[in-house]
Amino acid sequence: MKENIGRLEEIARLIRIDVVTMIHKAGDGHPGPALSAADLITALYFHIMDVDPKNPSRQDRDRFVLSKGHACPALYAALARKGYFSHSELVGLRSLESFLQGHPDMNKTPGIDSTSGSLGNGVAIGLGMTLAGRYFGRDYFTYVITGDGEIEEGIVWEAAMSAKKYKTGRLIVFVDNNGIQSGGPIEKVSGLNPILPKWEAFGWHCQEIDGHNFAEILQATEKAKENTGQPSLILAHTIKGKGVPYMIGDNSWHKRVPTKEEYKEAMRALGGEIT
Amino acid sequence: MSVFGNTRVAFIESMAEIVEQDPNAVLVCADSVLVVKGKAFIEKYPGRFFDVGIAEQNAVACAAGMAACGLVPFVATYAGFITMRACEQVRTFVAYPGLNVKFVGANGGISAGEREGVTHQFFEDIGILRAIPGVTVVVPADHAQVRQATKAIHGIRGPAYMRIGSGRDPVVDSDIPFELGKVRILKEYGSDIALFANGFVVNRALKAADVLKAEGINAVVADVHTLKPLDETAIIEILKRTGAAVTVEDHNIIGGLGSAIAELSAEKLPCPVIRIGLRDIYPRSGEPESLLDYYKMSVTDIVEAAKRAIKTRV
Repeated sequence: MKENIGRLEEIARLIRIDVVTMIHKAGDGHPGPALSAADLITALYFHIMDVDPKNPSRQDRDRFVLSKGHACPALYAALARKGYFSHSELVGLRSLESFLQGHPDMNKTPGIDSTSGSLGNGVAIGLGMTLAGRYFGRDYFTYVITGDGEIEEGIVWEAAMSAKKYKTGRLIVFVDNNGIQSGGPIEKVSGLNPILPKWEAFGWHCQEIDGHNFAEILQATEKAKENTGQPSLILAHTIKGKGVPYMIGDNSWHKRVPTKEEYKEAMRALGGEIT
Repeated sequence: MSVFGNTRVAFIESMAEIVEQDPNAVLVCADSVLVVKGKAFIEKYPGRFFDVGIAEQNAVACAAGMAACGLVPFVATYAGFITMRACEQVRTFVAYPGLNVKFVGANGGISAGEREGVTHQFFEDIGILRAIPGVTVVVPADHAQVRQATKAIHGIRGPAYMRIGSGRDPVVDSDIPFELGKVRILKEYGSDIALFANGFVVNRALKAADVLKAEGINAVVADVHTLKPLDETAIIEILKRTGAAVTVEDHNIIGGLGSAIAELSAEKLPCPVIRIGLRDIYPRSGEPESLLDYYKMSVTDIVEAAKRAIKTRV
C-alpha cells in the first residue's frame, strides 16, 4: 500500500512537470485547474481503472470523462505516461499539427473516451456510458471528474436525478473542489456551496476526501465501487495550482502561461528538468 | 379537403420495427413518451426505453454517452427542445464526435404546433441544424415518408435529425419512394417554374402547380425532404430547366429550405428564388390550415410567387 502510494505520488509529480512544461511550450492552457486534478487523474489511470493502452477501444474497459476538459494537459500527460502515445507528442499541445486539442477530442486523441470542454456535461455523458454498460451486461465502471464551478450548470442536476432513478452504482463522479472558478471564489460567483448536501439530497452515495491524498482517493473509490445501488459522488478537496507555490492563491493561473523564469521556478519546485 | 395521417405514430411504429431488428437501438425520451405515442412501445420493449425526465440537455448528452459505448439512441421529443434547449449538446457531444445518435423532433413548423402557440411551434429547427456540421437533416412530407425516413436515418451511421408533426398531418398523394438525400419529383407539368417544397406544406405546392397549369404555367414540383446532404445535382438540373424557383416550407424563411436553395442557386446557377415560409416573425395560435394561410403560405401565395419569379427571370 505504502509503496503503491509512493509510486502514485511520483507519477503525479511527473505529470505536474509535464503540465507546466506543455503549457509553457504551447504558450496556452489552464495550469491551475490541471494541477488541482492531477492526483485524481493519476489515481484513476495508474491504479483504479481497468484500461489497456494497447487496446484502447476494448469494450469492457472502464470509462473516463474529464468534464472539466480545460484540465486536459494533466490527462494528456497521464495518457502519454500510460503508453497511449509517445511522450514527445505532449509539446504539440494546442498546435495545428497535433492531435492534442485545446480540449479533449475522443476521435483525435488515443485513449480519450469522451469529447469534453463545454462545462457541466460530463455527468450526463457518464450516465449514458453507464446505462450502455448495463444494457450490454458489461461490468465496467464510468468515472467522471467535474470541476466544482461547472456544477452550477443545470444539466448536472438533470443527470443527477436520472442517475438516482436508474440506480447507476457503476457511475462514480469526483468533484475537483478547488473552490475557485474562472471568475473567482465560488462563494463570490454563485450560491453553489455547500456542495455535498446537494448531492446527498439528490440521492447519491457521498464521500468527502482530500483530493491530494492518494490513500483517501483509493479508499473512497473502493467504497464507492462497493456501493452498487446508488451513483457515487466523491467531493475531493483540492488546491488550484497544487505543486507550484506561486500559482496557489493566485487565480490568474486559471488560464495563464508561465514565462521562462516562471517555468524554471515551477521546475525547481517540482524537481523537474528544465527542457 | 385534406386527408390526414399521424407522423408521430408512424415514427413510433417504425421504431418498434427497428428495435426488433437492431439489438443496439433504444428510445430516449425527456418525459415525451406521450408526445411520440410511445405507450405501447414502452410496454412491449421496456428494456429499450430510457426516460430521463423533463431534461433535454441531459437526454442528448446521455445519448452521446450511450452511443460512445455502442448503443444507437433515438432521442424523441419536441423539435425546439432538442434543437434549441439542447442545441449545444447536439453540436458538441453528438455532431462534433460524429456519434450515432438520431433525433426526432415533434411539432415541426407553425402548423404542427397544435394551437399551442409559439412556445410549441418550431420553425427554426432546420436552420439551426443546417448550421451544425455533420448532421443529416430530414423533413418528411407525411406519415408514409416518416416511416421510410425513420428507417433511412437508422440505416446511416452518424447523427441525424428528422422532423415529425402534431399527429394530424396532411397526407401527400404520391407513391414515389423516399430515398435519403435524393429529391423526389412529385409532378412535372413542364419547365416554366420550379416549386421546391418539403414538410407538411408539400400538398400546397402540388395544388399551386395545378392552379398554375390551369393558367398555362407548367411547373415542376420537387420534394426536397433531405436538407443535408442536399441533392445539389438534382436541384441544379431542375434550375437549369426552369431558370426560376419558389421554395415552400413551414419554417422561417431564414435558414431552411429557402435558404438552402437560394445559397445553392447564388453560388452555382443564379436565378430568381422566392421563398414562401414564415416571414421572420412570431406566429399566433390557431387552426393549422388557416394559420398557414394567414402567414402567407397559401396556395394563392405560392401561385403569385411563381408568377413573380417567372417575371423577374432574365
